[in-house]
Amino acid sequence: MAGHGIRGRRSRRKINKAFELQLTSMMDVLVIIVVFLLKSYNTSLNNFTTAPGLKLPISSSPDSPNDSLQVIVTPESMTVDTDRVLDFIQTAANLGSPEANYSFRASDLDEAGKRIIPLYDALIKAKEKTEILLAKSKSRVDGKPLAFEGILAVQADKRVKYDTIRKIMYTAGAAGYKTFRFLAMKRDT
Amino acid sequence: MFKRPSSRRKSHGEHAELPLVPILDTMVTLIGFLLFTTSFLGIVAIESPLPQSSPEEIKDEVKQKEKPLQLTVSFREKDVEIWSPFAKFEPKAILNNKEGNPDAQGIHVALLEIKKKFPLEDTAVLVPNKNSPYDTLVAVMDAVRTLEPTDPPIYVKNEKTGVDEPIKSLFPKVMFGNLLGDS
Repeated sequence: MAGHGIRGRRSRRKINKAFELQLTSMMDVLVIIVVFLLKSYNTSLNNFTTAPGLKLPISSSPDSPNDSLQVIVTPESMTVDTDRVLDFIQTAANLGSPEANYSFRASDLDEAGKRIIPLYDALIKAKEKTEILLAKSKSRVDGKPLAFEGILAVQADKRVKYDTIRKIMYTAGAAGYKTFRFLAMKRDT
Repeated sequence: MFKRPSSRRKSHGEHAELPLVPILDTMVTLIGFLLFTTSFLGIVAIESPLPQSSPEEIKDEVKQKEKPLQLTVSFREKDVEIWSPFAKFEPKAILNNKEGNPDAQGIHVALLEIKKKFPLEDTAVLVPNKNSPYDTLVAVMDAVRTLEPTDPPIYVKNEKTGVDEPIKSLFPKVMFGNLLGDS
């Protein structure tokens, strides 16, 4: 009952009178946060998204990727930008296995198993769309619209075998894509 | 006659306060914006052109008096062979590491020696195994392309200035040589 007497009432009154929020220390914290965020702010123009379950390899490459069309290869499926174009064959043995088994359905391949048909169709569609946009664009070189760059970013799980990557490159080459950008996580220095 | 006392003395105790609340509002808005737009994922890219030979390039190659280096890094069962189809240097075999993967560091050291002999060369052809994981491919591509800060400097004469300048990368153009093959 000590705090409920005259002394307690007096002290409460004192607190109410002198109470001020300590904004200076709060400002200090906020300034530190802002500086940290500005320092780690990525100004690159890429808009790459990662898929859940995708484990990218680690690279010491200094090049940061520019925005382009991307193929995402996860242990389950293949996606072109945001459209899922095919699913790999999943067996009971594959599920939960650390080894990713990227088996294609026979109907998804042609040209002696080198070309992935759904991927080819999706890449051709994306190429045509880009060419239409370039034709409509005001940017011109010698009066002609800008040429299709044909850059494809490949974002693949680190367990993907080269055979699958090779099929993707072959298919992209057949669809008119001439440059590949293999995406990886930056190595911490 | 005495001088008039300073008015500052009278105002002793009345201290001016910085209006922190609007600054705080700005800060909070800025932090919200930065948190929303910042990407904390450090993604890098390794660029590789699609190997292709146009009729013009074939004509140019025929015209060339000197045969190209065509540095090739081939993955084999137990090792990685570094060779040139035109026998421009002695082929080297780098044994795989204990895990059975290509020894990226060993490849890098061997390529450094080749770069010293051919400092103007910038292209390498990679011929991986069809079962090589993507992780291994990226490690070998890094070993072929990038120069580590601990690597000895290699100088190339700048044609314009005539000054020797250190090179910044090893063989930055890496392309795949067996896109059509079955290996």
